[in-house]
Amino acid sequence: MNREFTADLKKRIEEITARYPSRQAALLPVLHLVQSETGFLSAEEERAVASILGLPPIKVREVVTFYTMFTRKPLGRFHLQVCSNLSCSLADGERILRHLQAKLGIGAGETTPDGKYTLTEVECLGACEQAPCMMVNFDYHGNLDPEKVDRILEELK
Amino acid sequence: METKVLTKGFELDHLFRIGVYLDQGGYRAVKKALTEWKPEQVLDEVKKANLRGRGGAGFPAGLKWSFVPQKTDKAKYLCVNADEGEPGTFKDRYIMAHDPHLLIEGIILAAYAVGIHTAYIYIRGEYELIARRLEGAIGDAYAKGYLGKNILGVGFDLDLYVHRGAGAYICGEETGLLESLEGKRGNPRLKPPFPASVGLFQSPTVINNVETLANVPFIVLNGAAWFLERGSPKDGGTRIFGVSGAVNKPGIYELPVGTSLREIIFDHAGGLKPGRTLKAVIPGGMSSPVFKADEVDVKMDCDCVAAAGSMLGSGAIIVIDDRTPILDVLSKVAKFYAHESCGQCTPCRLGTSWIHKIVKRMAAGKGRADDVDGLIRLSANIKGRTLCPLGDAAALPVLAIAKKFKAELQTALKGSA
Amino acid sequence: MVKIFLDGGPVEVVEGTTVFKAAQRAGIAIPHFCYHPAFVPEGSCRLCLVEIEGSPKLELSCSMVVREGMKVSTQSPAVREARRAVLEFILAEHPLDCPICDKAGECKLQDYYQDYGLTESVFREFKEKREKKVRIGDQLILDRERCVLCTRCVRFLAEITKTHELGLFERGIHSEIGGYENEPVRNGYSGNLVDLCPVGAITDTEFRFKTRSWFLTKGESICPLCSRGCNIFIDYHPGFPRVAGSAKVYRIRPRTNEAVNGPWICDHGRYGYVDLQRKNRCEKLIWNKGPGSTTELSWDKALIVIGEKIKALRENGKTGRISLILTTWLTNEELFLIKKIFKDGLGVRNVSFADPAPGTEDGFLLRADRTPNRRGAREMGFEVKPVDLDVLARDSDILFIFGSSLAGGSNDGAWKAALEKVSVKILVTAHLNELASAADFVLPASSVAEKSGTLTNADGRIQRIAAIARACGDIRPEVQILLDLAREIHLDDAYFGALTGPEEVHRELAKDIPFFGARP
Repeated sequence: MNREFTADLKKRIEEITARYPSRQAALLPVLHLVQSETGFLSAEEERAVASILGLPPIKVREVVTFYTMFTRKPLGRFHLQVCSNLSCSLADGERILRHLQAKLGIGAGETTPDGKYTLTEVECLGACEQAPCMMVNFDYHGNLDPEKVDRILEELK
Repeated sequence: METKVLTKGFELDHLFRIGVYLDQGGYRAVKKALTEWKPEQVLDEVKKANLRGRGGAGFPAGLKWSFVPQKTDKAKYLCVNADEGEPGTFKDRYIMAHDPHLLIEGIILAAYAVGIHTAYIYIRGEYELIARRLEGAIGDAYAKGYLGKNILGVGFDLDLYVHRGAGAYICGEETGLLESLEGKRGNPRLKPPFPASVGLFQSPTVINNVETLANVPFIVLNGAAWFLERGSPKDGGTRIFGVSGAVNKPGIYELPVGTSLREIIFDHAGGLKPGRTLKAVIPGGMSSPVFKADEVDVKMDCDCVAAAGSMLGSGAIIVIDDRTPILDVLSKVAKFYAHESCGQCTPCRLGTSWIHKIVKRMAAGKGRADDVDGLIRLSANIKGRTLCPLGDAAALPVLAIAKKFKAELQTALKGSA
Repeated sequence: MVKIFLDGGPVEVVEGTTVFKAAQRAGIAIPHFCYHPAFVPEGSCRLCLVEIEGSPKLELSCSMVVREGMKVSTQSPAVREARRAVLEFILAEHPLDCPICDKAGECKLQDYYQDYGLTESVFREFKEKREKKVRIGDQLILDRERCVLCTRCVRFLAEITKTHELGLFERGIHSEIGGYENEPVRNGYSGNLVDLCPVGAITDTEFRFKTRSWFLTKGESICPLCSRGCNIFIDYHPGFPRVAGSAKVYRIRPRTNEAVNGPWICDHGRYGYVDLQRKNRCEKLIWNKGPGSTTELSWDKALIVIGEKIKALRENGKTGRISLILTTWLTNEELFLIKKIFKDGLGVRNVSFADPAPGTEDGFLLRADRTPNRRGAREMGFEVKPVDLDVLARDSDILFIFGSSLAGGSNDGAWKAALEKVSVKILVTAHLNELASAADFVLPASSVAEKSGTLTNADGRIQRIAAIARACGDIRPEVQILLDLAREIHLDDAYFGALTGPEEVHRELAKDIPFFGARP
């Protein structure tokens, strides 16, 4: 039932746990690490992480479902996270979301059938001076307009 | 007026590299404090400087440090709050991206002052690239002997780690942050006990915002008097105001604490676009109650903004012009807090959701005559009754918008009916 | 001691007491969902807020510790308004399905609404739809629409059983209680979640839709299913509405006794007890006259016939050929009468015990010994030894079997052979099993819920049980059966004639044996 992590991954997990006096404290960074390897956190990964950190699996699920950055289903290769908070909407951020929806043919929270893009509407990303902004995976893109969004998508090919 | 202190080096290329930082006189404050000063002197100087928290609550940093017991069997911890989730806020990102060693220096000084040997930078998960930059800088600081065992040969040890959050505004609340750092849901804790006595891993803990700590090296180098000169008597130094929304030049502006809000908007941030007029300003991040256009002659220090009925908060100024319907602003506020309520306590979990439902209905053109009064009533029923400050953060902006823009909201309802 | 003023009245409590507990001591009830004395205060429901003079905000009474001279109001307008608002928030999203909710009548949300709510509904939005029938345990159903997220269930499983079957998922309005990948709550203590739930979110399939709480009366008793003797409430129908047969006991619940069981009981006791009351009950006297010939019998006739048989042995000086198989399920009073009548009065020596095999001790409440009164039997002077079948077959003309649990079972060949050698076998039992057909006389005895007396738990604590459910059919309590038998054979008319019930028997027991006299 349990997923077996590679020796390298286990080693990196142990490096993380060494930073804290309790193994549970490593949970968020370890989940980030595992998700970056596997793309998403299924029950298999949750159980494996739980077992490595000495936690009941439910404690892992509680955490995974609390934080928006952890995902329990696969995401597209490019995760487009468009800010919908106030500063971005004052700069007509809704236009960016509408543009992406039309261009990709998916709604917010959906993934394109080819698995390339997932579109998510998110809260403030902390880049309000560049509103409207979005993140593509972990890269920030600000001062967006539809043309700039098109250029960004071009480069993602 | 030249007021740049924290942001002075930001134009330099590669200030994040320790070599460049050292060339600019970096780590001088650490050298001075660790080799010439006792920890109490650092604490006293910061106290005298009236350095108030830059994260939101504006609590005096020196006082906060002094609450940590001197003698304890337990390890003490420093948690750096780099969660920066308050909508409108982006200043800490600049500090960490451009000048990570300034933060590290501040961390070393705070740890030295309080007798702490382990510190964590809790950074919001989305700042992944910045977290990596911080980790690089920390690695360099270890290599140069500013972190680790026996720093500068004075027998002081400090380990520093970066810990990424994972997408939860509530983890910017200090006890939510502690829970999250311990590997749990970010549900805030009941206080008392306060983190200074029972914090991270049940141990005495100091939690400071990034910008707060970034000020400490300057206080150590230049003294409390110098620092006070640059701000207000009870609220020293400069602040990095982040301006966004309907201004010509959104961005960060480091100005003396106490600079007027009008000056920041119109002189520094370039004022509004041609043909537009000021309608409202959120002065300190989304959770601070809104000011109307005629309320912007307020000095931006913690006490003056509070006296004017709002909060200086994180110094994040969101400017709203006359073309933006206030209902749009209200919609964003309501949506955000309903999304970010941790769900632990009843009034916040159910109140933020109820408010959001009403506002969504209003925005869909299905408002009722009593909706605005309903919003006022519900916000009042959240305010002051929740487990953590998120309840107030959610209720106060709704209350302010509903009260100050009642006429506009009512007109919008009539239009929709 | 610290003196505070609660709603104007002075109250003295020890230092460190919370305002909530101080109020409780003063007889002032403060509403609460998340607070429970077994857990550290969580402060999430926000119902227990009180006003403290000098404090700018309302404070949580569950976590606020008293200070000398503190002036607390539990009923000020601000407090009442805050509570009303919390209830309004909850009820706005509550399904209001009280008519089909098993918790109705004992639901805290209903009670508090009565006390603090009673306002017009102004919620005009759509309620969240959530799952209403989530199976979370063998006997447990979770209704997420009714849940107020007090997290008592989660904390019980984290802190008391440490089994962590339930957790809190998602956040904000989407927060919900759930198990991991549908793994059930199965830890031997699951039923406590039903008691802990302040509303109807967690219900018990054994109780669901069976009756309405307001038809039930609660009686205090002791769980007989192991030697710990957990204190319980028995919830039963006292007669209205009438229910068939022995189905009068609906459920048992823990009754807090910090010295024995705290506020909990185990599932073995909880569900076993109801089965004990309801399943395979023996309600009629039976006379097995020979193969295939069974006659119903009246108590009068049974006593005469059995009495004659005893008297016949006595006339021949052969009462030593009476054997007893007892059980440590018997109460102290029953065992005392057996001792007085058979051992002391008739000189019976062949006394053994047939008890259910020990189970596993679970390290918490449930003990290995699954009977309630072994300690009592020992203190009474009985040697609690198993039956020797050879001796039984050789030395018995009359055999009394009390209870119906023979180790190995009466269908076992060796047992069968031994019993066949005994000419008169009398079974006094609350439950029917294969023994009933092997016995000549079957006398229906009361269940634990139907009789009064005392039980001595493994720690020597003597605890009272009371006749709560009314027995049906011909059922009689053993004390009455034994006293009637003593009178029938005129054993010591002065002594036994003065004993009319368990109370008097207990008084005699206390006089006779110091162990029982030294304790209440």
